Amino acid sequence: MTDGHGQADDGIEPDGGEATTEDPSTEMSITTDVSESVSASATTGEADTLVEARDVSVYYNDERALNDITMEIPRNRVTAMIGPSGCGKSTFLRCINRMNDMIDAARVEGDLLLRGKNVYDDDVDPVALRRRVGMVFQKPNPFPKSIYDNVAYGLEIQGADGDYDAIVEESLKRAALWDEVKDQLDESGLDLSGGQQQRLCIARAIAPDPEVILMDEPASALDPVATSKIEDLIDDLAEEYTVVIVTHNMQQAARISDKTAVFLTGGELVEFDDTDKIFENPDSQRVEDYITGKFG
Amino acid sequence: MATGTRSDDIENFGTVSKAVGTVFRYVLLAATLFGIVVLGALLVYVANDAIQPLTADPGWHLTFLLTLVLPTLGVGGYLYRRDTDALRFGATTVGMTVVTLMFAGGVGMIFVDILSPFVLLAYTVGLALPFAAVLVLQRRARRIPFLTRAGVTTLAFYGSLFGLPGPVGTAVGVPTIVPGVPGLIRSVPTIPLGWMSLTATLGLGVAALVGVYAARVRTRRAGLFAGVGALAVIATSGVLGPFVGVTSVPAVVLASVAVVPTVVYAAGTVASRPSQRVGMLVPAVVIGGTLVGEVAVGALGFAGPQSWVDWQFLTSAHSRNAIDAGLYPAIGGSILLMGTVAVLSFPLGVGAAVYLEEYAPDNRFTRVIDVNISNLAGVPSVVYGLLGLGVFVTYLGRSTGTVLIGGATLALLILPIVIISSREAIRSVPNEMRQASYGMGATKWQTVRRVVLPRAFPGILTGTILALGRAIGETAPLIMIGAPSVLFSLPTGLSSKVSAMPLQVFAWSSLFASEDFYTKAVPAGVVVLVSVLLAMNSVAIVLRNRYQSEQ
Repeated sequence: MTDGHGQADDGIEPDGGEATTEDPSTEMSITTDVSESVSASATTGEADTLVEARDVSVYYNDERALNDITMEIPRNRVTAMIGPSGCGKSTFLRCINRMNDMIDAARVEGDLLLRGKNVYDDDVDPVALRRRVGMVFQKPNPFPKSIYDNVAYGLEIQGADGDYDAIVEESLKRAALWDEVKDQLDESGLDLSGGQQQRLCIARAIAPDPEVILMDEPASALDPVATSKIEDLIDDLAEEYTVVIVTHNMQQAARISDKTAVFLTGGELVEFDDTDKIFENPDSQRVEDYITGKFG
Repeated sequence: MATGTRSDDIENFGTVSKAVGTVFRYVLLAATLFGIVVLGALLVYVANDAIQPLTADPGWHLTFLLTLVLPTLGVGGYLYRRDTDALRFGATTVGMTVVTLMFAGGVGMIFVDILSPFVLLAYTVGLALPFAAVLVLQRRARRIPFLTRAGVTTLAFYGSLFGLPGPVGTAVGVPTIVPGVPGLIRSVPTIPLGWMSLTATLGLGVAALVGVYAARVRTRRAGLFAGVGALAVIATSGVLGPFVGVTSVPAVVLASVAVVPTVVYAAGTVASRPSQRVGMLVPAVVIGGTLVGEVAVGALGFAGPQSWVDWQFLTSAHSRNAIDAGLYPAIGGSILLMGTVAVLSFPLGVGAAVYLEEYAPDNRFTRVIDVNISNLAGVPSVVYGLLGLGVFVTYLGRSTGTVLIGGATLALLILPIVIISSREAIRSVPNEMRQASYGMGATKWQTVRRVVLPRAFPGILTGTILALGRAIGETAPLIMIGAPSVLFSLPTGLSSKVSAMPLQVFAWSSLFASEDFYTKAVPAGVVVLVSVLLAMNSVAIVLRNRYQSEQ
């Protein structure tokens, strides 16, 4: 985590930092550690797995919402989860950072590994886990605080060291919001438009430098222009982060994701493969029917 | 065919009688207005007895009609047609002037007769030093473990306030080696004048708030200028006050509590919304009209009304003669009681509300507590008085009728109301905010402190002020704990006897019941009490409206 902040510090020079930080991604790929840059440069090859689900089932009271999900989510890729309403894709997303723990009735079975460590082990603190797994929600939900304080929130609650001003600027730049808000950092995050609010939420999520970013239909409450900005942003984020996104918009999944998981009714993962394959030549007839709009 | 017969009927739908509905509607309206009208009529009678407007010369009425009422109505009507926002702004400024003047009276009373400004200065410095140290420490090292931080903080405050080893040392026989900051300051041979101390404490606090406000609506530079300017105005008022007939300490209070906040509110609104500038006409007409009218009736020799609510009534104690009787000790007592009640009930009530809303599991125990808090809100106040008497006087052996006991009893009385309204405010924080915070890896405590409480705070404050409004009117609990009905001087500390406004009014209408007291002192007391209550509630309402419009 401190490495990430070190990079952010390097990326900004006190005077005239504009030019060097125009494209933060180049900065970042230079300074990232060796294993990551190898996997990042080998964009065509198979990436290593960061999150792995083994037979994950979720029950609400006695009702089964997710049915034996097994999948491997690759590092530094965008993985999309699509499916009709109520198919359990959001439930699965919330398993990864244990947000389902908040619901008393929910019970999770099976193993969910982050870097090989089961996040449902007894010695895993869900609060500590969530500091490494950022989350962006369906409805933009900035805090009723200033833009600056919104982005710095994660740093403050974690008691992170480092230059908060620089990290906030860097995060807002990566979220493609800096140019629009740099003169109004002290104003309330709620005064922004819906699309800007959602990018603010993304900046807030990436400021503490998490390993995974979970997005739960991040563009479904936004207009087409704002949606396309968010999509471009997700594309850029995948150079640094592992992004898992739930969407009910199939075109969106096709545009932005590297891998796609199709969930169908009953909490079942029907097919999980490269996005191109899913959309061009799926193995399952049900997936083909769903994608061509015959149902769902 | 069926359609054929239907189309025949189309010409003739007939009518459905709505008579019952109409009657019902007006019955409901009558029910709605009944209480308000009755109470309003009573208050008009009482105000008429207290102020006696009809005893004034017709010329007096005519003068004020011409200088104050007609111009105000004219400006109000003009703005009502053109720009209601500006009218609202103007009316708020007038209301703020009136309310802050009343509060300034109360605060002035405290610093003139109860708490010496120098003592306030000593304790303010004693609190500010460790506070600043802790703040610097926290900025420097964010990762100090919690227990270390809490320990250092507590020790810093304790040492600064009481000295080391302080009262704990004295208890075990070790003399105090390092004196506390307040003690040190108070032992200084030359003490500053009262108004200087007050400027350095109250004035500095107000100036800091003004600076923060100005920095928020404008720039940091503007904030700095505004803060320094406010402090300069307050200090100047202390110097110049005696030349215009106001002694220094009340002059500083007047500037800090009334003048500076009102001017800053008006200036801030004009600066951020220039279109509403025209609203300033309202306060100009009201204040100008009052002054012109005052000068005119003086010059023309018209006598004003023989009001019982006058300066003499507000500043003197009870007397055998209704004409000389006053409410001063009771007003001071009520202020002190309110302060004690607020300090005691606010943390307890908010704490309970946070626990019940954010932490409590949903089980039978919580549900029992839940129901019983609602029940407690309905327990008669005389029972709380009995509780106070039993617990504080009989069991803890305190003397009867002191500020502390009265405040504690009233705090118990309004605690359920504070809890219920705080819970409502906390519940109204959208769940998405909590989700966002937890999703960032915040603990429950961090979420409550950084997201839930800041957002719920205005609502909590509104509820607490309204609850205090209930406490200020309570008589029965104070009688039960043995508060004296008649007191001739202000209470000087937490353990001195206290009276209160409703208690004094009750005494006038029972113990001293005579024609004079009935018709003069009682209505005057009621008018003062109700005015204070309305002033407090207006603050709560303004807070609530601002809060709602911000969401």
